[in-house]
Formats: sequence, C-alpha cells, structure tokens
Amino acid sequence: MTNGITTAIAAPPSDITKRSLPASVAIHTLLILGSLLMLYPLLWMVSASVRPENEIFSSTSLIPSSIDFSSYLRGWTGLDITFGRFFWNSLVISVLTVIGNVVACSLAAYAFARLHFAGRNFWFAIMLGTLMIPYHVTLIPQYVLFLNLGWVNTILPLVVPKFLASDAFFIFLMVQFFRGIPRELDEAAMMDGCSPWRIYWKIMLPLSLPVLATAAIFSFIWTWDDFFGPLIYLNDMNTYTIQLGLRTFVDSTSASDWGGLFAMSTLTLVPVFFFFLFFQRLLIEGIATTGMKR
Amino acid sequence: MSDVMRTTAPDAIKSEYGAAAQGRFKRLWTANAPGYLFLLPWLIGFFGLTLGPAVISLYLSFTDFDMIRSAEWVGAANYVRIATADPKFAAAMTVTLTYVVLSVPFKLTFALLVAMALNKGVRGLPLYRAIFYLPSLLGGSVAIAVLWRQLFAGDGLVNAALAHFGIEGPSWISHPSYSIYTLVALSVWQFGSPMIIFLAGLRQIPTDMYEAASLDGASKFRQFYKITLPLLTPVIFFNAVVQTIDAFKAFTPAFIISGGTGGPINSTLFYTLYLYQEAFGNFRMGYASALAWILVLIIAIFTAFSFLTSRYWVHYDD
Amino acid sequence: MTLRVSRRNFMAGGATLLSLSALGSKAFAADTRLRLLWWGSQPRADRTNKVSQLYQTKNAGTSITGEFLGWGDYWPRLATQVAGRNAPDVIQMDYRYIVEYARRGALAPLESYMPAKLNLGDFDPAQIEGGSVDGHFYGVSLGANAASTVLNTTAFQEAGVDLPTQATTWEEFGKIGAEITKAGKRKGFYGFADGSGNEPLLENYLRQRGKALYTADSKIAFGAEEASEWFDMWSKFREASACVPPDVQALYKDTIDTSPLTLGKAAADYAHSNQFVGFQAISKDKLALTNYMRIKPDSKGGHYRKPSMFFSVSSQSKVIDQAVDYVNFFVTNPDAALALDVERGIPESKAMRDVVAAKLDETGKVPLNYVSGLGDLAGKLPPPPPSGAGEGQVVLRTIAEQVAFGQLSPSDGGKQLVDEISRLLAKG
Repeated sequence: MTNGITTAIAAPPSDITKRSLPASVAIHTLLILGSLLMLYPLLWMVSASVRPENEIFSSTSLIPSSIDFSSYLRGWTGLDITFGRFFWNSLVISVLTVIGNVVACSLAAYAFARLHFAGRNFWFAIMLGTLMIPYHVTLIPQYVLFLNLGWVNTILPLVVPKFLASDAFFIFLMVQFFRGIPRELDEAAMMDGCSPWRIYWKIMLPLSLPVLATAAIFSFIWTWDDFFGPLIYLNDMNTYTIQLGLRTFVDSTSASDWGGLFAMSTLTLVPVFFFFLFFQRLLIEGIATTGMKR
Repeated sequence: MSDVMRTTAPDAIKSEYGAAAQGRFKRLWTANAPGYLFLLPWLIGFFGLTLGPAVISLYLSFTDFDMIRSAEWVGAANYVRIATADPKFAAAMTVTLTYVVLSVPFKLTFALLVAMALNKGVRGLPLYRAIFYLPSLLGGSVAIAVLWRQLFAGDGLVNAALAHFGIEGPSWISHPSYSIYTLVALSVWQFGSPMIIFLAGLRQIPTDMYEAASLDGASKFRQFYKITLPLLTPVIFFNAVVQTIDAFKAFTPAFIISGGTGGPINSTLFYTLYLYQEAFGNFRMGYASALAWILVLIIAIFTAFSFLTSRYWVHYDD
Repeated sequence: MTLRVSRRNFMAGGATLLSLSALGSKAFAADTRLRLLWWGSQPRADRTNKVSQLYQTKNAGTSITGEFLGWGDYWPRLATQVAGRNAPDVIQMDYRYIVEYARRGALAPLESYMPAKLNLGDFDPAQIEGGSVDGHFYGVSLGANAASTVLNTTAFQEAGVDLPTQATTWEEFGKIGAEITKAGKRKGFYGFADGSGNEPLLENYLRQRGKALYTADSKIAFGAEEASEWFDMWSKFREASACVPPDVQALYKDTIDTSPLTLGKAAADYAHSNQFVGFQAISKDKLALTNYMRIKPDSKGGHYRKPSMFFSVSSQSKVIDQAVDYVNFFVTNPDAALALDVERGIPESKAMRDVVAAKLDETGKVPLNYVSGLGDLAGKLPPPPPSGAGEGQVVLRTIAEQVAFGQLSPSDGGKQLVDEISRLLAKG
C-alpha cells in the first residue's frame, strides 16, 4: 500500500488508439445524438430570447424570424433593480452554501463512517430520516422559528442551516465514499499516533476530492436553482436571488415579459455552467491520488 | 448497624467507586468524544432547526389548521379521512408510485451507461460531460414548462419526429393517459446528477485492476461484471436510495408542467403537489401535515428495506 | 426602506392638486413604514411604485416598501407571512380568497373609516358590496372588470366568418365555430376554446337561467339538470369540431400564455376583461372583446361588473390608519389614477374614470368600452362565494375534463358536479 499513489490519471487509457474506426464513429454518433437531445430545449430557449415576443409561442422552429437582443437589455434593466444585483445575491448565498455543506457534512460523514461511538447507528437512522421529510410541511414552523430569531428577510435562514449540515443528502453521499476508502490507511495512521482530527484532515479529505467536488457542484447548482426558500424568506426585492427575480417576469394574470424571462434564464446558466466546468476538473484530477493497489 | 452503614456507606461508596467511576467516565468520554465532536454541527442543526419544526408538524397533523387561526385538535380524523374517504389521495399515490417505478430505473441506467462511456477517454470528453449535465442545470425553471410543451404537445416536436415514421402521436403532455410519461421523460432527461456521482465512483476504481484483468485475458464485459459492478455497489446503492426518495418527494416538475393543477384529471398529481394544494390552496395545513407524515412513513419503510437488503449485494471495503 | 424611483416615464407629474386638498391634512407620526404586497408583473410594479412615490412626497416620514410576485407564488408567500404573524400592511386581495382571509380574521374591517378617511362616495355601490363579507367591508376594489370572450379578429377575417355580436346565442356561436374550423385556414385551428370547465362561463350560463353558483347562505344554487345540459352543450360543440379537442384544451393552465388563442389553436377564448392588454401583447393578430353568449336572444343578466382585485389591510398591522390612508390615496387621487391606468381594471371612482379615459391608448380603451357597454347583459353582483368555492372551481375543471375525454357522460358529469360541490360546501 505504499505504492498507493500510482499513475492512474488523466492520461487517456491506451485503448483509445486501439479502437477501430467504425466503433469510434458509432460511439461519437451516439454521443452527438444524445447531446442534441440534451441541448435541444436549451437551444430553443436561447432562440426564444432573441426573437420577437409575439413569435415565442406561435412558432416551433428554432430559427427566429429576426434577431433582437432587446430582451436581454430589458430583462437586465427592466426591473427596478438590475439583474446584476440578483446575480450577486445568488452568488453570495450559493458560495456560502458550498462552504457550509462541504465543511459541516464532511465532519458528520467522517463521524458516521469512521468513528465508533455510542448511538452511532441511531443517529445515522435519524439523519436519514431527515432526508425523507418534504419541506412544505416543516415550512411554517421553521418560518415562525426564524421569525422569532429575527432572521426573516435576511439570508441567514438559507445559509446557516448549511453550516449545521442540514443537507443530509451530502452526509449520506460522503459516508458512502468514505466507506470506500480502505481502513488500513486509518489504522496505519493511528498506529503512528494520529488523532481522529489529523486522520480526517490529512488522509480522508485529500483522498475524497472527487466526492467533495461533487458535493460542491451540487450544492452550488441546487442553491442557484432554489426558489422556494428565497420566496419565503426574502421579502425585500434588493435581496432577491436569480430564481425569484426570474419569476417576477411572469404573472399569469397580467402581461408577462417572456422575452426577458428567457433572456435572463439563458444568462443565469452561464455562471453555473462555468462553476461546473471548473469543478469537474477537480473531480478528475482528484484521481491522481486515489489509485491504489490493494 | 444498618444505620451506621447508611450514614457512612454513601461517602465510603463514593470514594471507593469514585475512582473507578471516574475512570469509566473518562473512558466513555475518550471513546465517544471524537465521534460526538465531529457530529456536533449536525447535532446542533438537528436539535435546533429540524427536530422542533418536525415535532410541531407532527402535532399539526392531528389538528385542523388553516394557518390563520390557531390549530384545533381533531385527533386522528385527518388520518382516517386519508385512509377511507379521499379519492385524490389514491390518485396521488398511484401517480407517484408510477413515477417512481418508471423514472428511477431508467434514470439510473442512463446515468451509469453515460458515465461509463464518458469514463473511457473519448475525444472531447469534458465537453460531452458538460453537455450531458446541462439539462440538470435548468432545474425547475419556468422555462421548462414552455419547453416541454413545445416538445410534447399535439403539434410538438416529438410528434413531428414520429410523423416521419408515419406514427401519429397524441398530445402527450395534455392527455390524461400519457401525461405522466412526459414527466418521467423530464426526470430521465435530467440524469446529470446521478451520472456525476457514478463518474466519481467509477473514477475511484483503480485502473490497474482493469489492466491486470486485461492481461489475464478477461473480456470487457467480464471486467464490468467482476470489477466495476461490485466495486460500484456502494455508489449504486446510494443513487438508488436517494433517487427513489427524491422521486417520492418530487414536486417541481409536476408543479411547473401542470401549472399547479396536477391535471389533466389528476394524471400528474404528484403526492407533494397534492399536499401543497391542500396546504396553500385549501387552507388545510393540518390535513397536509398528515399527508406528509404518511409519505415519510412510506419512504422510511422503503429505505429501511433497502438498507436491510443491502448487505446481500453491496460491498464495502471496511 | 424607500423605493427607488422608477426609470420609466409615466404621465403627468404635475397634475392638479384639487382632490388632494379634499383629503385633509396629513399629520401622521414621522417614520411610518408601510409594507405593500401585490401580484402582477413588472408593468404593474412600475405603476404601483410610482403611486407609492407620489404618496411619499405628499407624506414625508412615511416610507413604503413594495413587494410583488407572480400570481402562483403570491399565495404561498402571503399564507406563510400571515401564519407567521408577519403579514404586510396592505395586501392585494382576490375575490376568491377575500372570503377565506376575512372570515378567518386576517383582514381589518374598514367600514368605520368611511366616508371621512376612505372616500368611496362615487364608487359603484355594487363594488362596495363586492368587497364586503358577512356585513363588514374588507376590500377596496382597485378596478372593475367583467368576464369576456377574447376574439382573434384576424382569424375570423381569414376564415370569412362574421364576428359574434352582443346578441349572438350559444347555438349560433356553435355554428360560427364549426365554420371557422371547416375553413381550415390555419393548421390545427378551431373555432373556440372548450369552456366547459371554466367557472365564470358556467356561472354566466346559470345566471341567464335564473340560477347561480352559490346562494347567499353558502349552498349550491343549481341542480344536476342545468349542469348536465351545460356539459351536453359542450359535447355537441366538440362533436361538431366547433371547439378545440380535449387534449388541446388540457394545455390551458389558467394563464394567458397557455390559452388556446395564444397558442394559435382557437379564434376565441374566455378571460377577464382586464387581461385583454396581456393577450394582445403576445399575439401577432388583432384581438377584440365581446360578451359571453346568450342562451336565448332575450336572456340577460348573466354578466356582472366585479372587482378585479382589492386592497385589504391586514388585521395584524400596527399602522392600520396609515394603511387605510394609502389605500384611499391609491383609488381617489387623480395622479395615482393616471399612473395606474386601467392595468388593474377600470377605476371604480367615476371621477378617476373620467381622468383616465382621456389618456387611454387603443388597446387600453377596449376593456373600458366593453365593461361600460354591457347594458342588459349585466345583472346583480352575486354574493361573495362561500368557503370551499375555490375547491369547487377545481372540481368543475376535473369533471369537465373527464366528460371531454369520454370518461363520464354529460348527465353523469352533471350529477357528480352537484354532488361533489354540495359535499364541499357541507364540510364548510
């Protein structure tokens, strides 16, 4: 296990050169077709954001009759508050959430996966139990709780729970991954006199970069996309997040700004997409340290 | 004599047992402290933010609560009504079960297949990976409702494509017999999240294992069956459990596609959508709480069952 | 927290101050904060913020925070805030919900403020009635509208069919619809939308027959016979292809953008008159408004002028007096009226109507002319709907869909409708 760090990295496996041309073409064709399926709705949205508003619902073709970027301008400046402010608010909340989740959930997951303590299974079951409760139902009591704390109309109700590992999904995810890391590493470290904290910090975390990156990606994206939490806790339009801002474009009972909606929806994909691109490299590069011999 | 013992014994006992007791306490502490210290943030969160509201919501399920006036105790009346006199409950349960049974296997299968394909070093890999994840980024945006209609309405693109093969499709999204399938399609289309997790799991499998197996002459299929699958079981288990729980709790797809109606004719009435209608549409928060706890019970049974049977097929390293 | 000034330019900034002096002097405590919540989209927000701005200039020391959301998000946010005792001071209310909130004590009764602090003297008395529940006055109407049929005049012209008039009956309308469909000028195009599950439309039909949806003492006011005939009428329309088939109608989610008319499937749909502007905005064709069809050439009284929406004041508010003053300003101040235009409906105050009428554009004039031109089509305002009426609307839509998709016969549908609604009302 000393030669645990091997060369299993980003270098593409050798079979890529051995693959025959027809197989290569077949795979690429499938991937491209699949990509089109994934992309089509997105392309439609981009097209809707640049076409005249009264054409959005009447035409199914992807090609607009004329290109008009006014939706972007209108969407950005049309509300009393520029959309940039919403972007910023979303960014702040999402980044804080990522930090909170990664830190707090990994701590809890380490306890569940590696440490022995009385009642561990009981607490694990409880933790899973919290995954099962639909949020609509604890909504009102939690709202009253936060109201009494004076946190309503701030981002605290959205962010503080993350630092208290409220997202059991990530705890569970990390537990599964931690359990996949051989215990021999821990045992060796313990024999060397390492405390649990050192094991966590020096061994567990570095070896878990793929799952930590995964947790970061998901945290960011889900928070970016969340609207119900902000709907309930953010009253002041200055504090609105992107999703809330997007929804003010549409009111079913009066005139909506569909062009603006699609334009801003397209824009909001950009940061998320880049966040994903950046972190997915971490996902891959993390491999460099996890190849190990048994 | 007993008096003497009674008066002196406590002190004697304390001092005699004291040291041992203190030693035991210290051992208990050293043994359990690290675990509890690491768990502390979660414990604070659980007791401070989750337990209270959960207990209150359980209490509310036994009341009549319209959110404006105070809650009125009605005992088990809500639960009785759910069990005996609520046709919409049965409809919601059927729709949700259909959704779970159809969407989860398909979603996981696609996620695994695509993850494996992308794990192999195809040219343009990072781009493909991002593209296949894109649908999940769209989440529950309002735009999805419009997009899905463009695809699945009577004159939508899916039917246009089917027309090439001479098939005349119904209006998938607005026909009570087919609308649920459009929601399943939406869920499967957004397979990016489990795909990423599978990818991370696949990446944790050391490639030299595959190399060794190839050298031994094992076929790709055998390698998959004997190496990949067993080592991936913790991740498969995770994805299966989590995706199923999510599918039971699914709300946003039905909400945006059906416009909150669950229609046509309750064919897209997801369980949590029904809950939402009762709570916020009909001012029956007590009843909605009862519905929620029934759901928790069902999910808990399923999860317990999954965990109990997992020992037969999930391989952990520890 | 004060609002930012809207960047948009609206009309007259320096209009007359005549009516203002009639409101009396302002002597409220400094630094009053008012919270305002309404549903709508940006155009309505711009107008509302403008009015708030005007109010703040005249009432130094009052700051107004405005929050708005789309219709679908509005009600959960309001319910949560009310439940958490954090309700806004001024709440925009809808006819369907005002009864629910008023009866549960969430709204402050306003009759004591009339007429001195709340000057609704030149309002249509029926609108005051419309905002009253159980003898108390809870909602100041922000505009009147009436149910209407939206017509795609361009499509009618293409098909060479005459538009329906105020005298058209349902039978004639059916023939018109079938003709449009037969003309086949557009792909997948039909005469009109399927209104069998549309509650205002059913109510209109019942009223023309001397019935109604609900009685004043919260009982059902129609029977299985009328209901079955209603469903039967629509079944015949479907058979004749006068209206859209059920799977097209099922796309409709009570929003302008999912209406068969907007989606290019039908030449007519049913809406509230103040939604006309919204319809025209996303349609390339020229639209017009007309009434719901008569049952017989001489039947009348189906329509009524109803409040499109109200402002109510929360009973939990700590600044009820100031809130009422704001509402009063909103509906009786000419500058405010000009800023608001007819976006929320036709102003209730006659004085305000006159002020606004002069400045309306083409599209804005259409709903105004429609509502004032109803004549004998309009009858008395029905009593406020009972608790459970909202669910009744959902029941109607579901049963109508079942009949349309062939799962229920029209007569069974009629019976079931009456049964289920009676059961709903009995639960209370």
